[in-house]
Amino acid sequence: MKLNLKKQFSTLALVTSFAATASMSLAGECRVAEASMDKPGGFPDRALTMIVPYGPGGGSGQVAAAMAEAVTELTGVSINRDHKPGGSGTVGMTAYMAAPADGYNVLEHIDDASSAHALDSSRPNPAEDLIPLVVSQVTFSQIYIRSNETRYTDWPSFVAWVQAQDGKATIANVSKEGSMERVIMKFITEASDMQIQQISFDKGAPRYGALLGGQVDALFEQPGDVRKFLDAGNFKPILTVFNERPGVFSDVPTHREMGMDFEPLLRFRGFYVHKDAPSDRVDWLKWAFQRAYCEDSYQAFNDSKFMNVIDSYRDTAGAIDMINAAIVQYRDVYKEMGLDVK
Amino acid sequence: MIENFLAGTATLFGDPFTIGIFIFGVLGGMLFGAIPGVSMLTLAAILLPFTADLSPAQGVMLFAVIYCTGTYGGAITAILFNIPGAPENAPTAFDGYPMTQKGMAGKAVGAAVLCSAIGGVASALVMMSATEPLAQWAIMNIGPPEIFALVFFGLAVASSVGGRTIWKGWLSVLLGLLIATIGQDPVGGINRFNFGYSDLAAGIAFVPAILGFFAVSEIFIQAEKNVSGKYSAPKFNVDFPSFFELWAHKIAVVRSIFVGFFCGILPGIGATLAAFMGYGEAVRWSKNKSEFGTGKLEGVISSETANNAATGAAMIPLLALGLPGGALTAMMVAVFQMHDLEPGPLVFYNSPELIWIVFAAMFYANLSILFVGLIETKTILYLLKIPFQFLAPMILMLASIGAYISRGLVLDVIVMFIAGIIGFLLRRSGYSIPGIVLGLILGKIGEQNFAQGMQMVHYDLGTYFSRPICTILIVAGVLTLLKSLHSAFFQKPKVT
Repeated sequence: MKLNLKKQFSTLALVTSFAATASMSLAGECRVAEASMDKPGGFPDRALTMIVPYGPGGGSGQVAAAMAEAVTELTGVSINRDHKPGGSGTVGMTAYMAAPADGYNVLEHIDDASSAHALDSSRPNPAEDLIPLVVSQVTFSQIYIRSNETRYTDWPSFVAWVQAQDGKATIANVSKEGSMERVIMKFITEASDMQIQQISFDKGAPRYGALLGGQVDALFEQPGDVRKFLDAGNFKPILTVFNERPGVFSDVPTHREMGMDFEPLLRFRGFYVHKDAPSDRVDWLKWAFQRAYCEDSYQAFNDSKFMNVIDSYRDTAGAIDMINAAIVQYRDVYKEMGLDVK
Repeated sequence: MIENFLAGTATLFGDPFTIGIFIFGVLGGMLFGAIPGVSMLTLAAILLPFTADLSPAQGVMLFAVIYCTGTYGGAITAILFNIPGAPENAPTAFDGYPMTQKGMAGKAVGAAVLCSAIGGVASALVMMSATEPLAQWAIMNIGPPEIFALVFFGLAVASSVGGRTIWKGWLSVLLGLLIATIGQDPVGGINRFNFGYSDLAAGIAFVPAILGFFAVSEIFIQAEKNVSGKYSAPKFNVDFPSFFELWAHKIAVVRSIFVGFFCGILPGIGATLAAFMGYGEAVRWSKNKSEFGTGKLEGVISSETANNAATGAAMIPLLALGLPGGALTAMMVAVFQMHDLEPGPLVFYNSPELIWIVFAAMFYANLSILFVGLIETKTILYLLKIPFQFLAPMILMLASIGAYISRGLVLDVIVMFIAGIIGFLLRRSGYSIPGIVLGLILGKIGEQNFAQGMQMVHYDLGTYFSRPICTILIVAGVLTLLKSLHSAFFQKPKVT
């Protein structure tokens, strides 16, 4: 089973992580030369609307706010954020697909849109039904324990302890059916020959509180979301799910170093416009969002979220490659997991 | 502590611009809290980008003040028009609106003003004196099993409110619980009862459901009375509760402070559960349980004390641990981050002056509810003089806008009117609207925590009882249920 799963990874999937690894040195660099661009036919002559399928306080809400601020700084065009949370992003996506495709409506979304399409092809494909303007955050996952934990202190001792608990050890994450978290945890548990009970918390605060308070034994999360707990010395990473050690986590082993031979799935957040939007407007939006990535305010935001540890930037072509790779990868894994892939 | 508090006060009131921000927060929170559909969250979202131009202390202080006064603001429309400004004001309408119909609007609003201030000030005082140890205690001792047990206990206690019989009260709660299961399940993300309609994947939102069950059904009932010639306008009355009336409820106030504070300190729970639990405890300890839901002052007092007591408590896990207790406190995290700060243990050491300005501002914001609220109330009560044929369309229009604006979905307006029709029919048959809303709101919280708790105890129900707080709450809930069943078998139907 383990070997079969590994074989399911397509070469396309490798593009995602190897591209991220190879371009670590480019993290945070600006790759749009044009500092300005004429507005096509006066577009936009009013504020844009950005539909955000998650609440304002979470990772998507924060990146949407930071990007909106950067675009406004750059172009002077205001962006109204319209949060439509619910259904793991499906409510916001449905609302966006029903909105006029005139270029005035843009969408923020995460890799959940790709995995949702992989599971059910009737859901919009972010690489075909939408045009990615920019992917501005790409990050990896880690496993954390409390810094004052004494039962285990690193990955090998954690695995040994979990194996001794006979399936009663717990880890907090967002383990919705088919989610990136659940898929990676499946790879990890199979490769490490351990059983661990995943506790699904859909909100960050109870999830982090569960580890702080000892309600769970470990936490699966991305580093930017728990930075304050890392800075405060509350949490300690014991495993990085990435192909090589990022510089700031040089003392944390990767899953490959710990004998787990699978391609990591990455979390990515980006901005999209409807494929039927007028092409000249799409070109302007691509420039605005890709150049806004270079704004000092946005770079400061990404820095604060550990989002420049690996290359977080994908232009339209790069984003399409990454999304297509992710869809193929998720679809293969879902079939292997026995899920009903439509 | 006093020295720090005085220093925070001096900084707060030592700068005219900071005073202006404080006053803006007080008035803005009250206004946005009072308008259904828009809320303090709407105001906070609008203001968020502008906080970048404020100092960190001013930005966080502004949000904290809005949190205090916005939680109170929704009580006014709940009492006068059966339109709770936010879910945490829904229990206030259970007795507040019947009091308005009886010509006691002044007493209800006056009690809401006073008790919101008392609950908030008490909460602020505890927050100032024991933030770090309380946060540590809560995080170490309260997990999903305890929160589920708390919800179970709350449902068991308050479920009999408002129904013509206990059976109808329970059926109403069960209907609310059933509605709460619409949408993705909170753990596996599996769609339930959405019939392929993606907007329903997020479930039934609280705001349109509350507006429908309370405001729209009330309009239908009053319209029916109007058509049949039985309508009588609420008596206009600006008499506030006397000191002795309020003093008689001192125990309810103290109890609600404790209940509200306890609920508020739990990460991710906040003021809504606090208001329901405060109301539920008032029912449980009352000798005249059947009077709740018919216009009992204690119902308003308990709900409004508890939801404001939760505001200071919700700041504890935020400031001490970096764990926001609700949507508005989550937005406060963004304010911190805009200034390169992170709420959490380090903020007490790195930015003590910020903490104490916020503490002082919350204390004075709760005090200001008392003064501004009383002045506002004397004016707003005159809305009751508007004839029904003008007032009803205004309320329907306001409710429709409120239902739509919270998520921008037409579905929510449809849900509101369906809830209004169902509420209208069920109320005529003696079922409990508070029970349905209770089931809907607590059902979502309860299901999520039950599922998480079961995963944590490896699906062994017996392990639940190895956790002392959990055991006490579940046993108390079961005993309450048994007592309720006993009453049901020997209860005579109420005369309505």
